[in-house]
Amino acid sequence: MLSLRIRWLLEHEFRQLLAARPFWLLLLLIGPLVGQAFITAVEAYAEASGIGGGPSALAQGLSPLDGIFVPSFGAYDLAATLLFPFVAIRLISSEKESGSWKLLLQAPVDLSIVLLSKCLVLMTGWLIIWIPGLVAIGFWASYGGSIYWPEILNLLAGHLLRAILSTAVAIAAGAITKNAASAAILTLTFTVGAWVLEFVAAGRGGWLEWLASNTPTSALRFFEQGLCQVSTITVCLSLAAFGFVLARLWMLPLRRPWFHTSIGAIALALGMIASTRIRPIWDLSENRRNSLPLADAEALSRIGAPLHMKVNLAPEDPRRTDLDRNVIAKLRRTLLRLTVEYIAHSQAGLFEAAGSHYGEIWYEVDARKQMSRSTTEPIVLGVIYQLAQVIPPASRDEKDYPGHPLAARPNGAAWFYYLAWPCLVGLAFWLVSKGRK
Amino acid sequence: MFLEARSICKAYGPRVVLDGVSFTILEGGITGLIGPNGAGKTTLFEALAGVLPVDSGQALFRGQPVRARDRKAVLSYMPDGIQPWADQPVGWLLRFYSGLHGAPPHRAEQLIEALQLGDFRAARAGSLSKGEWKRFLLAMSLLTPQPLLLLDEPFDGLDFRQTQEVMGLLKTVRDRTLLLSIHQLNDATRVCSNLILLSRGRIVGAGTLEDLRGKANLESGGLEEIFLALT
Repeated sequence: MLSLRIRWLLEHEFRQLLAARPFWLLLLLIGPLVGQAFITAVEAYAEASGIGGGPSALAQGLSPLDGIFVPSFGAYDLAATLLFPFVAIRLISSEKESGSWKLLLQAPVDLSIVLLSKCLVLMTGWLIIWIPGLVAIGFWASYGGSIYWPEILNLLAGHLLRAILSTAVAIAAGAITKNAASAAILTLTFTVGAWVLEFVAAGRGGWLEWLASNTPTSALRFFEQGLCQVSTITVCLSLAAFGFVLARLWMLPLRRPWFHTSIGAIALALGMIASTRIRPIWDLSENRRNSLPLADAEALSRIGAPLHMKVNLAPEDPRRTDLDRNVIAKLRRTLLRLTVEYIAHSQAGLFEAAGSHYGEIWYEVDARKQMSRSTTEPIVLGVIYQLAQVIPPASRDEKDYPGHPLAARPNGAAWFYYLAWPCLVGLAFWLVSKGRK
Repeated sequence: MFLEARSICKAYGPRVVLDGVSFTILEGGITGLIGPNGAGKTTLFEALAGVLPVDSGQALFRGQPVRARDRKAVLSYMPDGIQPWADQPVGWLLRFYSGLHGAPPHRAEQLIEALQLGDFRAARAGSLSKGEWKRFLLAMSLLTPQPLLLLDEPFDGLDFRQTQEVMGLLKTVRDRTLLLSIHQLNDATRVCSNLILLSRGRIVGAGTLEDLRGKANLESGGLEEIFLALT
């Protein structure tokens, strides 16, 4: 009986989604948005690959992930931030505004099931919106472009997570507020707040930077770099679950929803803090850009003692950014007993910390210490090997990433995205409207 | 007692809407909750249905207290003035509501026939007139299976003939107890066997018309006179 009721609910929610004009508008817009990004990316990639006899970039620098898929799917980040939330808000707010929520509250199923069916239908809607992006992958393959599925699937997972977060925020906003307009304002406040947080936290380090690294857009960047980071996934899913719980709380006729909300927020904060301890990160990029060479990783794994680094570089110093991104991030994935201490905390370190020790990076293994000012990977590794008394790898047999240059024109893409897609959406809208009667 | 409300209180800030409301309903028949606009009828219905949190008080069903979140197992409430799922066709919505509540498949068709909704099967619910909406909502409420049905202003928006027909339909409901909130006193006396009078958030009388007349010390007169005498 319950499964039958869930089936009715799902069908009903799907009909509600198909009756929502914002969904069709989004569907109509997403084709040209993805198309424009894809066509521009293919043309730029072709130029870098030396189309028409022009100068070509180094082949190793030409990765379809960076050159084609990340920019093409970038339209989905825009859609998940600014368009899709309105579809989600409508599905909740219309129930409140029309009074139908009072009927659903009396339905012989738990409120969670009603909300879950809404979420499931919204995610189905998001997968429909993905069609232009998936067609872009098909176009790229048809041009003879290289497809490395682990990094593409990872990117899609990132965008799915991004959409789940947007949906959760929008659903929570729809539940908390009385009407769709207020819910839209609340959702935009969250979006703008996340942007401000990213801007303010940039280069500051500490908990603020960590918090900023978990905003929806920042979380997506990990996936765009080919990283699959379990802690990021955990934080995003926790946030989404919190949004869902919040929606349930505010839809229920409770006397003190703020009290329950506070308890939920505390649980979320504790969960997020705990998730920082989750270590697994997989580098799914074809060129292993986020990883040390395999031979170095193997040599470093022989270091039993803990490595302590003391970095005297201010957060806004580009050398520190280099060190963090290109060395420490990779080391953290290899050396489980690595601790890093940042000494310079100044907001204007380049000018303020002009002391003679500024720029020093100290390494310590088993009470042996060594200082270096370099932030480049081979030199840092050399210092660590010397200090840990580990023999560096004699040779790195690993094959260099060959790169995938492709001098191809985006044939057929403009026709599909600018003409066929809008016509298909229009036809589908007409058929659905006709079928509804 | 079929349903008993005990000392239900609800206030919005300093404004007290329900001030210790207590009453009982016997099983079967139609009971009318009578009161002028603003008396607190809708608030009381929402409180009883568990879709509105109350400050204090409880509801008992067949002598057993029922928590607000469990009320949907024993009673169904159809609010007044709602416009659920206006983009969907009437026929589909009745099928959906019927399926959701596990009503027999033929029940929706019976109600479409009885409430003269056949011409609007394919029409968007949002395109219905006020009277058509009312009949559509009534059909939805009659698809639910709970033993107690609360209908908020079921005759509001219906013309005289439609009111008569809906009253006739409600009188044929034998297996459920109906509690109707009505502000038209004439309608109330025509359809309800028992009456509960609510004024400014307080119960001022309950019983049959004769009981209420006795309580108001009137030898004759209709509900209007009784209500004025009691308030």
